[in-house]
Amino acid sequence: MSDRKLPRLLQTPAVLLLLVWMLVPLGMTLYFSFIRYVLNNLRRPEWTTPSPSNWRGFGNYEFVLNSKDFLLAIQNSLFIVCSILFLTIILGILIAVLINKSFPGQGIVRVLLISPFFVMPAVNAVLWINMILDPVLGLQGIAVAGLNDLIEGLRQMPVLGGFFSLWPQFEPISFRATQTSAIAVIMMVTWQWTPFAVLILMTSLQSEDQQQKEAAVLDGASTWSQFRFLTLPHLGRPIAIVVMIQAIFHLSLYAEIEIVSRGNGNKNLPYLIGEFANNNIGAASATGIFAVILANIVAIFLLRMVGKTLME
Amino acid sequence: MGRIVLDQVSKSFGDVEVIPPLNLTIEDGEFAVFVGPSGCGKSTLLRMIAGLEELTSGSIAIDDQDVTAVPPSKRGLAMVFQSYALYPHMTVRKNIGFPLRMEKMPQAEIDKRVEAAALSLNLTDYLDRKPGQLSGGQRQRVAIGRAIVRDPSAFLFDEPLSNLDAALRVGMRLEISEMHERMKTTMIYVTHDQVEAMTMANKIVVLQAGVIEQIGSPLDLYHKPQNVFVAGFIGSPKMNIFSGPEAEKFGAHTIGIRPEHTDVSMTSGTWIGRVGVAEHLGSDTFIHVHDTGLAGMITVRITGDVSVKHGDTIYLTPQAEQIHKFDAAGMRIE
Ligand SMILES: Nc1ncnc2c1ncn2[C@@H]1O[C@H](COP(=O)(O)OP(=O)(O)O)[C@@H](O)[C@H]1O
Ligand SMILES: [Mg+2]
Repeated sequence: MSDRKLPRLLQTPAVLLLLVWMLVPLGMTLYFSFIRYVLNNLRRPEWTTPSPSNWRGFGNYEFVLNSKDFLLAIQNSLFIVCSILFLTIILGILIAVLINKSFPGQGIVRVLLISPFFVMPAVNAVLWINMILDPVLGLQGIAVAGLNDLIEGLRQMPVLGGFFSLWPQFEPISFRATQTSAIAVIMMVTWQWTPFAVLILMTSLQSEDQQQKEAAVLDGASTWSQFRFLTLPHLGRPIAIVVMIQAIFHLSLYAEIEIVSRGNGNKNLPYLIGEFANNNIGAASATGIFAVILANIVAIFLLRMVGKTLME
Repeated sequence: MGRIVLDQVSKSFGDVEVIPPLNLTIEDGEFAVFVGPSGCGKSTLLRMIAGLEELTSGSIAIDDQDVTAVPPSKRGLAMVFQSYALYPHMTVRKNIGFPLRMEKMPQAEIDKRVEAAALSLNLTDYLDRKPGQLSGGQRQRVAIGRAIVRDPSAFLFDEPLSNLDAALRVGMRLEISEMHERMKTTMIYVTHDQVEAMTMANKIVVLQAGVIEQIGSPLDLYHKPQNVFVAGFIGSPKMNIFSGPEAEKFGAHTIGIRPEHTDVSMTSGTWIGRVGVAEHLGSDTFIHVHDTGLAGMITVRITGDVSVKHGDTIYLTPQAEQIHKFDAAGMRIE
């Protein structure tokens, strides 16, 4: 046996296992996406068992493309992912830079800051939508009601009352509505994932070379210039990693969308798959294939970005 | 211009006084070297001059202006760090031009100055590389370039050569000395290596535990060390220093004799001993002599090559006028 064959042979089981692990589900999804396969159909009971005789070609794909929710779901997926990425990175950098300075109670503050990350997504969603964002019972409702009471009080004032009577009453916002439910999801996921960004960026900040900073101070760099020319480039790589990991996670958000609005006006691709899968496995599989394609496009785009920052 | 005056400057970290109050004047155009063992406070002193470390007490003046409260960038000093502290994400060109860019100098003027600095430091071919793609010596040059373009009133170096290999260190040592000859700008150079101090300095400041032991020219320090510490620190190989009856014969508590000031004979002499190790350098021979009854080991240096070997009996005679005498407090007796 040549000295290359043995290592290859020893690798084979692991490689095979990985291939099976990935290829079998993908293959089954592809197969289901080309046949008629439903869980329940009284008129056509033969469709309830997967079989090549129910071949439908690209019919499932056409059906999905023509369904009114599909484009909306893709838009929504991208909107939610991009918004969360943008917000978590900005907040993450701000908080990481802030708590990287030493101050009393540093340890406790850091632990508290990380803690949202350990809340389960479903619990997070329930807490936010009921206790914070609810227009009546949540913090939002209480705050808006309090504000309105305050303005009401000011209107009674002798001179300035006339000015305040021009102010409108504040209306609490319902975050379960079609137009706002995506915003609610973005808020709660941002709250939960900002700590992740903070954690990674803070670790990176701690490894920043202090002598470089001192050299910059001597070179006359202001605090902003030090941040702009030293810290930000130093954070390039960890930012790319945070973006990458979060994009993968947030493309598959499900629990939050289910809990906030049951997908009302706010479906993303995973949620649409879930809806189809209530009965139409063929359509769900076709949507799944679309989701794989979308994820790949996003991944290629992100890898380019990461690659660029790594090159620098 | 660059005359730097330290007046009663001291530094404590918490309760630990690293530098007791000290006075020091560095004249314009001088090449001053702070030398001393690791941890004696050389870097701290330099960083206080640069403004990176606050003074616990005292004041610092540059060209008769009190700069104690002036921020680092306004002191007109440039510093070269031991780790080079280059900006890793910028090209060499950007690195060297950074201080000028921070001064909001027009880009054309920056380019001109960067090119000129690069030319004088042999960096022209590397201007568009990142620091990560350079060798240690080249990185050191970039750091020096970044200091030069600012046209500072004084350069501060903190052990700039200690990350380089021996051959490169000798080369860079020469380059920095030449740079000083050319520019005539004040330079303060920190090192723990007395060879660097002796070869580069106009003025050496020997520090121990934050205290100035002696200030003087290299040859002052060599010929007239003020105390036992300086005597042992300056010179290579080290001066042989011992106390006891043999020292009392010379009317001193402690005496010191440099290895190069001891004559050697195989037949007769003042002291007798046994050869431990003989190091043959070709130009010189260092002989380490044991069992003299004076100190644990006496080192002698002989010009040229002599054939002695381990275990040989050897006679040593100190050159009487070259003996350094010290009192019980370790201070020099004339
Ligand atoms: N930031 C600091 N906090 C506390 N102690 C320090 C600090 N910087 C230096 N020291 C102490 O001050 C002493 C002198 O340090 P330093 O100036 O770096 O010595 P050198 O450069 O001569 O090797 C050392 O004992 C060191 O431990
Ligand atoms: Mg030091």
